[in-house]
Amino acid sequence: MATLSSLNLVTPRVVANVPDSTKGSPVKVPYVNQPWKRLSQLASRRMQVIRPVRAAPDSISEKVEKSIKEAQEACSDDPASGECAAAWDEVEEISAAAGHARDRKKENDPLENYCKDNPEAEECRTYDN
Amino acid sequence: MAVCTVYTTQSLNSACSISTPTKTHLGFHQKQVVLDSTGKITSKKGSSSSSCVITCSVDHSQTVVIGLAADSGCGKSTFMRRLTSVFGGAAEPPKGGNPDSNTLISDMTTVICLDDYHSLDRTGRKEKGVTALDPRANNFDLMYEQVKALKSAIAVEKPIYNHVTGLLDPPELIKPPKILVIEGLHPMFDERVRDLLDFSIYLDISNEVKFAWKIQRDMAERGHSLESIKASIEARKPDFDAYIDPQKQYADAVIEVLPTQLIPDDNEGKVLRARLIMKEGVKHFSPVYLFDEGSTISWIPCGRKLTCSYPGIKFSYGPDSYFGHEVSILEMDGQFDRLDELIYVESHLSNISTKFYGEVTQQMLKHSDFPGSNNGTGLFQTIVGLKIRDLYEQITASKTAAPLEATKA
Repeated sequence: MATLSSLNLVTPRVVANVPDSTKGSPVKVPYVNQPWKRLSQLASRRMQVIRPVRAAPDSISEKVEKSIKEAQEACSDDPASGECAAAWDEVEEISAAAGHARDRKKENDPLENYCKDNPEAEECRTYDN
Repeated sequence: MAVCTVYTTQSLNSACSISTPTKTHLGFHQKQVVLDSTGKITSKKGSSSSSCVITCSVDHSQTVVIGLAADSGCGKSTFMRRLTSVFGGAAEPPKGGNPDSNTLISDMTTVICLDDYHSLDRTGRKEKGVTALDPRANNFDLMYEQVKALKSAIAVEKPIYNHVTGLLDPPELIKPPKILVIEGLHPMFDERVRDLLDFSIYLDISNEVKFAWKIQRDMAERGHSLESIKASIEARKPDFDAYIDPQKQYADAVIEVLPTQLIPDDNEGKVLRARLIMKEGVKHFSPVYLFDEGSTISWIPCGRKLTCSYPGIKFSYGPDSYFGHEVSILEMDGQFDRLDELIYVESHLSNISTKFYGEVTQQMLKHSDFPGSNNGTGLFQTIVGLKIRDLYEQITASKTAAPLEATKA
């Protein structure tokens, strides 16, 4: 199942020259300050961002998004260049870091850790059927 | 008999009075004594304090070094966790150090990530237009120096490559362990480093499986799409084929992962075919075999004694030639659904270096939440872990035998 970010679809090349820090904000602010606008925009866009239930810590996730955009830009000029390969390599590296961060976050669940040691405790009962 | 060796960190200047390793006989307990040099301790800005550390421990003046090569996202971390678990204990990052350190330390093993030897950080690589796979982005001289030092029981100050920021962080102290594992993209690339390895493993994941695994890893991230994952794999492919893939000819064991052949037109990629390619004639390493060493066997365990669900399990074993070397290949296609399938298979494999019946099954169950725990990838990773333990015990046995001989004489 493909999880496509609305940013990829909706923000065309027009904002390609805008520096990264402001790229996100024109889209984000209306949601926070004017929640009614969000509803109308929801209606107008076919694809909405499907926020994953569990993702890497936000800063890394943002880095992943940013690096993908940069890679797509770098490769639009010359797909066979070293810059293109280096940019996608960066995406791979950051995605790997995001994956590890996600796994670490999973491991730090206090309930899971407790239940690993005390599977017969009340809180840890599981019902399979 | 315990032998004390003096460790000096590599960055020391001659201000320290003890510069050559000496051996004295002391008690069995591990003691650490930090000595001041005769003059003042000159602490330079940014470098470690120049102090001498005497550590008394059981002699392991020859650390066993294992190399593990694989592309990113290919199961190195899982393998590491299985390997350290075989030796007992969990491997954790060094306490009190850089939280983004890539190093893992347990009682017996220290795992070093070779990304720490990048000579160019992320911005540097972007400027030069090179990927991390390119040898130009790595400092092989430093890698060789430090692995050689650790192998000779000398502690080193190893740089840290921070994967989150993409920068090279200040170094951390690595003390020589009993078993040193170097994992990364290029453990066998440099010939000098290759000669230091006592055993080397290469994880060879086929393109379809790699794609499926990366989708599993990355699709939860917003920003990623099927196209971006595909583009990322393809952009890195030329460098991967040129620099990383050729290392498999040097490996003592290759774990190859391919899509299954049991399901025609399978495109889910859930069932995998794993092949363990073991080089013949490697010192302290005897390949695993099925039924009869050196003959070609094809085995489907499912039948009257064992009932398996679709698609079942298929094993094969036989000698072959791999890049000009004599090898034995053990192959498993399919999945384990039940515990008794695993025990049944284990009881028919020979030379798996277990200490008791059912050890492989026990290890697999212990980590049933790890990826690959129900198929050949987990099985072969566990078996290779046991083989490494066996190799380590053989090497240490041969080393303790030698000094005993010397004292007798």
